[in-house]
Amino acid sequence: MVKVTLVQADGSSAVVSVEPGQSLMRAAVLAGVPGIVAECGGQAMCATCHVYVREDHLDALPVMGDEEEEMLEVVASERRPGSRLSCQLVGLADDVVGDVPPSQI
Amino acid sequence: MVTAPSTGSLPVADWVDPRLLRSDPYPIYARLRQEAPVAAVPAINKVLLTSFAGCVYAEQHPEVFSSVVEGANLNRALGGVSLIRKNDPEHATERAAVNPTLRPSQVTQVWSDRFRRNTEQALDVLAAAGDRADLNRDFARPLAAKNLMDLVGIRDVPVETFARWSADFIAGAGNVLDDAEIWARCTSSRVEAESAVDTSLAYLQRHPDESMISLFVAAGMPVESIRANILLTISGGVNEPQHMITAMVYLLSQHPERRPASLDAGAWRRVFDEAVRLYTPIAMVTRQTVRDVVLEGAAIPAGSQIGIMLASANRDPAVYDAPDDFEPDRTERRHLGFGAGTHLCAGKWVAEASVAGIGVPMLYERFPAIRPDPIGDVHWEGFAFRGITRFPARLA
Repeated sequence: MVKVTLVQADGSSAVVSVEPGQSLMRAAVLAGVPGIVAECGGQAMCATCHVYVREDHLDALPVMGDEEEEMLEVVASERRPGSRLSCQLVGLADDVVGDVPPSQI
Repeated sequence: MVTAPSTGSLPVADWVDPRLLRSDPYPIYARLRQEAPVAAVPAINKVLLTSFAGCVYAEQHPEVFSSVVEGANLNRALGGVSLIRKNDPEHATERAAVNPTLRPSQVTQVWSDRFRRNTEQALDVLAAAGDRADLNRDFARPLAAKNLMDLVGIRDVPVETFARWSADFIAGAGNVLDDAEIWARCTSSRVEAESAVDTSLAYLQRHPDESMISLFVAAGMPVESIRANILLTISGGVNEPQHMITAMVYLLSQHPERRPASLDAGAWRRVFDEAVRLYTPIAMVTRQTVRDVVLEGAAIPAGSQIGIMLASANRDPAVYDAPDDFEPDRTERRHLGFGAGTHLCAGKWVAEASVAGIGVPMLYERFPAIRPDPIGDVHWEGFAFRGITRFPARLA
């Protein structure tokens, strides 16, 4: 189990425990983290579970697949170097800190 | 909002009249949201969830609110179990086969040119109807049907026939009063549609392309599942874009100042989303509880059939300012018109491209003055599936 800290635009944050095999998106939705809309429930079809993973944590992430790459082209808030879809973040190697974008829709 | 099962009670809304749900459901939803956002409604034998928060909770907890529903009208209408009546992981496996052709980049690269050509042809049909034009019959319906025929990979069937299948399946899926005549229509359309699927399937095995049937074949899906899933797609894939085309024109004719400039894609998308929110074409999705659950203070027993009322959630004043007003620039952009969660409408991006990106902007380009004639003759119908069924139009 790893711990992921998700920071909101207003500076508040939540720490989410992610079980092995569980996506960060699912853990965040179950914990009620605001701003992780996750419209499609984890199929890389909606791009509404976007997070900005902070630079010093990028090594802990799984490799990005083509589907995620494609959907990051249509995120509502600008795409940045640490942009990931949290539904695709399964099997994090270590604790991670990320920011929730201002908008998902 | 949600706690462990308790001995709390379940409010009963015995005043809900199914005939009024068909003619004008919105005042009923408003009263349910206010008095009992989780309520048993004996007239349709379901527990209805009418608040935004309650609907989202159910959609995001499929382990309690299951898509496996006993005696589902939809399964009967389609003659088999489609992915919408399965839970993950079975649902996800079937859905993953077609997701690639339904993502935005593929929609742009593969389908948009086809949708543009289909729109041009449909506009010619509308023009030919002249003084007797009906926007639903002569444009929205044939266009939605042709776009979907291309997407699923069915040829050599008249567009009108394909559109009729869709209407009959929808009538069967929504046949809450168990009308025998509706089941008869549904069955004969199902036999025709299955035969068309089989014909396409045989062809696409030898000539694979980007269509849904072809992708299902490539994924090794059993023929019975391909049939059920394509029939499901035909059900939801014609009526809904058809209803959104007419709803957008209906709204813009009442608010002409809100009509976007033809190339302002973002503004067209906002009008589209606002139309989906206000006139949610799939008003209800059905689930069944697998255990007792307390939602918004109401105790729902295990085994209850649940109606997640997307059309009501989308007008919840707890989420939207002036929820009954048409306001494309509203700050709350989220809505549940395509559902929420793993069963999110697979055609969401296709619908946005074909209706908001291409169909309606091209309609206004060709007929800038198009409007209802008169507006009082525009006819709305339906409860679980709702939209405009008659739209006499002035083209100029």
